[in-house]
Amino acid sequence: METDFVRIAFTSETIAARVAELGARITSDYAGEEPVLVGVLKGSSYFLADLSRRIDLQVKIDFMSIGVYQGTTKTGIVRITKDLDIDVSGKHVLLVEDIIRTGLTTGYLVQNIEARKPKSVRVCSLLANPDQQLISFPIDYTGFTVSGEWLVGYGLDIDEKWRNLPYIAEIRRPAHV
Amino acid sequence: MPVITISRQLASLGDEIAESVSRRLGFELIDRDALLKKFLPDLSAHETHMLSESAKFYLNLRGTENYISILRRSLHGYVHENPVVLLGFGGRALFSGHRAALNVRVTAPFETRVSRIRKRYSMTAEEAASTLLKSDRRQSRFVRTVFGDDIGDPLLYDLVLNTASLSADECAGAVISLFRELESNLKITEPAGQAAVCETPEFKNQAESEFAHLLDMYNIEWKYEPKTFPIEWDAEGNVAKAFRPDFYLVKFDTYIEITAMNQKYVTEKNRKLKRMRELYPGVKVRIVYKKDFNSLVERFKLGKEG
Repeated sequence: METDFVRIAFTSETIAARVAELGARITSDYAGEEPVLVGVLKGSSYFLADLSRRIDLQVKIDFMSIGVYQGTTKTGIVRITKDLDIDVSGKHVLLVEDIIRTGLTTGYLVQNIEARKPKSVRVCSLLANPDQQLISFPIDYTGFTVSGEWLVGYGLDIDEKWRNLPYIAEIRRPAHV
Repeated sequence: MPVITISRQLASLGDEIAESVSRRLGFELIDRDALLKKFLPDLSAHETHMLSESAKFYLNLRGTENYISILRRSLHGYVHENPVVLLGFGGRALFSGHRAALNVRVTAPFETRVSRIRKRYSMTAEEAASTLLKSDRRQSRFVRTVFGDDIGDPLLYDLVLNTASLSADECAGAVISLFRELESNLKITEPAGQAAVCETPEFKNQAESEFAHLLDMYNIEWKYEPKTFPIEWDAEGNVAKAFRPDFYLVKFDTYIEITAMNQKYVTEKNRKLKRMRELYPGVKVRIVYKKDFNSLVERFKLGKEG
């Protein structure tokens, strides 16, 4: 499998330093508030765990997950497969993503969370590719800007593999796609 | 089954024309109130209030769909069996891409409408003018907020009527005549046994169709080629070149152009896009290149889209 790796895109030290910066900014921006950090499963789990420990505020943590419900339609419909446990109405919500490419998933979740009348919804993504973003919404906190490469590690996977790498690596495009 | 949508200014005789067309063709007349009653019968008092006060509220989710998407889906299902005249409510946008829809706009000069309002409600000229301006603003805001359309743009409609010197019955006759003409053409072009209803537009290529499916999956409201942006004019002011993006994402106010073609055409497209961005800096437009599109579809197959 090692032969699939092209390079280490972000070392664990680079990630840790950037996560600390983001945590400090979030601490300052939400001073005096108690934001709800919402991690998008499964990719953001490592990022959320590290980021939340770099935020010097009382925070609440929850998770959301979406999946494709096949139903009777040809293409299926995206549905929430793990919903929030916390009632976010009147609260500040910070949606935490591992990577934003087209923004379809994040756009869907932001729309969904907005419907619950939170005080605010902001987006924090470890990685973002602005060139691929089709759905226009502001990404309030971005760790690193990336292009179209295939990335794994620190929560990112291909077919559920390589999530637990402590760094982010670029791999060759998988052979089966 | 066919649909006739009628958009109208207050006191333009649009209501009378819709009523006359509906009666003469035997089509069901559905206005805003009937629409909500029929397809959202279980609205709470709060929802009813909010929908009458706030155009934005139509974009809120009710379950997994927003109100507009519920109405659109229900209406498309309903008109499958029942011919309908849809009055107001930006009906044209609800049926964009529907081949059997005839979209009509009814207007009249401001002074004519003032005079009609004065007669109808025994108002002063100032009161009538103020009523009209309020109504025009409200309608325009509704259609812009919910559908992203400029209600006054004549290019959105198949037929625009000015009732300054025409009666409602005369105008209804014109609508019916055009409708009959279209109906006979549709019958000729439809393959035998296939209904004249098309809920999805005819896409130019596979990539567009796949992209529409992706948007549907995410319940993202889209319109296909809803707007053309002129980008070059000749000496007489005629449009010489225009750019028509493939998709418009209503909620995100973004146009998307899908490029599934060879590089030599892409260069021309890029040039058009650049010119469009210069001329319309406030319009958000994104281009998806063939390579990116393929990668997007691959990621979806892997369940890796983000």
